[in-house]
Amino acid sequence: MATTQAPSATPERSRSRTWAWTAGSGVALLVLVTIHMVAHHFVVEEVGGLRTYAQVLEYIGNPVIVVIELAFLVVVTIHAMLGLRSVLFDFGLSERAKRLADRGLVALGVVTVAYGIVLIGVLASRA
Amino acid sequence: MSVRRGADPGLDEIRKGREEAGPVPRKGVGPVAWFDIRRRGLGHFAFSLNRITGLGLVFYLYLHLAVLSTLLRGEDAWDSFLGVATSKFFLLLDVLLIFGLLAHGLNGLRLALVGSGRAVDQQKALYRSIQVIGTILLLGAALRLMGSE
Amino acid sequence: MSAPAGTTRRFRIFRFKRGDDGHRYDEFDVPVHERTTVLEALRWVQLRKDPTLALRHSCFHASCGTCGVRVNGREGLGCVTALADVSGDTVTVEPIANLPVLNDLVADMAPFVDRFPAPHPNVRESEFLPQADTPDDVEGYGRFEDCIECGLCLSACPVAATDDTYVGPAALAYAQRMLEEARGTDREAILDWADSEAGAWRCHASFECTEACPSNVRPAQRIMALRKELGSRKKVSS
Repeated sequence: MATTQAPSATPERSRSRTWAWTAGSGVALLVLVTIHMVAHHFVVEEVGGLRTYAQVLEYIGNPVIVVIELAFLVVVTIHAMLGLRSVLFDFGLSERAKRLADRGLVALGVVTVAYGIVLIGVLASRA
Repeated sequence: MSVRRGADPGLDEIRKGREEAGPVPRKGVGPVAWFDIRRRGLGHFAFSLNRITGLGLVFYLYLHLAVLSTLLRGEDAWDSFLGVATSKFFLLLDVLLIFGLLAHGLNGLRLALVGSGRAVDQQKALYRSIQVIGTILLLGAALRLMGSE
Repeated sequence: MSAPAGTTRRFRIFRFKRGDDGHRYDEFDVPVHERTTVLEALRWVQLRKDPTLALRHSCFHASCGTCGVRVNGREGLGCVTALADVSGDTVTVEPIANLPVLNDLVADMAPFVDRFPAPHPNVRESEFLPQADTPDDVEGYGRFEDCIECGLCLSACPVAATDDTYVGPAALAYAQRMLEEARGTDREAILDWADSEAGAWRCHASFECTEACPSNVRPAQRIMALRKELGSRKKVSS
């Protein structure tokens, strides 16, 4: 039997804020993913525009590129986690399940960004 | 502001009678409804495609991060991966990736506008424009990628 | 596609009685003519073939909202859905989706009604011209809300297909109309009600509710207008 629940316990205005972050990160990604895709598929003359190992190191050795790729990593992770959250919440989760999902997605996001930072850091150090 | 539930005693009695009569099936079809575009409008098609591409891109994100770990193993490991990644099949997968990015990204821009109450009455025209722009960009990208062999 | 006199259409109708293990579909060949509606065909089945077929209807002219069904997977009011507009060899009729089924084509509308915020008046001020003449003893005109609470929007909504807690298009559209014409209710309370994960932010803009609505409510457009107002709210935290 369907019921109408009282507003959930999340802080005031966080619901519109959640949507704003999803939309905002998405718009930012339009720029960042375009840069990323062009850089990795349409710049070098190799097949598919894919960089060789040396070309990857040369690319990631540029500090400006490191900043851009880190920004891309953070923004895409935020957008992905918010997107997954939206899909999960569409299943009409209980309040407890929502809290668990939130915690799980934050943890997954943190691990994802951390791994990406390590990856970029190690490669940049080899450049 | 309260939610109206059980304010009418007659309705309460009816509800009680229904509960006593036993469970009824909920005539909802679950997540299949997200992707069933038969006899549905353009907005539903956009929603379905956005959801499929979104989930696909999340999967790709982790696949990509896993693949990039090959770089940590050095030049030989990366070159070996490139040997696979530059095959025609994988280049086609790259085209599919670009399709997903365009479909999700351009529709996302539409949703950012419409979902905040802007250009709502133009939502169908916006989506048609996105389809045209996306198709042009995808064709250009595909020609460039597949032609680079 | 029109049906010449003397033709029949095959109907495949959802059947369920409480106590049954599950649902089934019964088939009937119904005589139709070019202007037969779905409701007329269902009534023929009920009167001539199977009196146990349960269905709801009242006005026969799309103003009561009680005869909502799904015809070949698409929401519509049976009384104004012409069979000439329904393609396919077989016409499948099912109850509206995302609500419990009580009996055959009769859905339990209580969960639909429960989603609406209270109070729930169903009359609004008319948009007639200020310079229009009214009889001496009439201050102004009211008219019924466009929404006939048929539930077709909720049936068509892909979010409601999986989330019973989502208040749904009808209730949100209603809340937005309350903002347009507050009628003495607290606007902030309406906005607070709508500003939740189960409210306006659960909508994914498929616009199927607007496609399904037989009464020009345009629920999706109203939900987006509601979100625009929620997004620009400058409320001090409590």
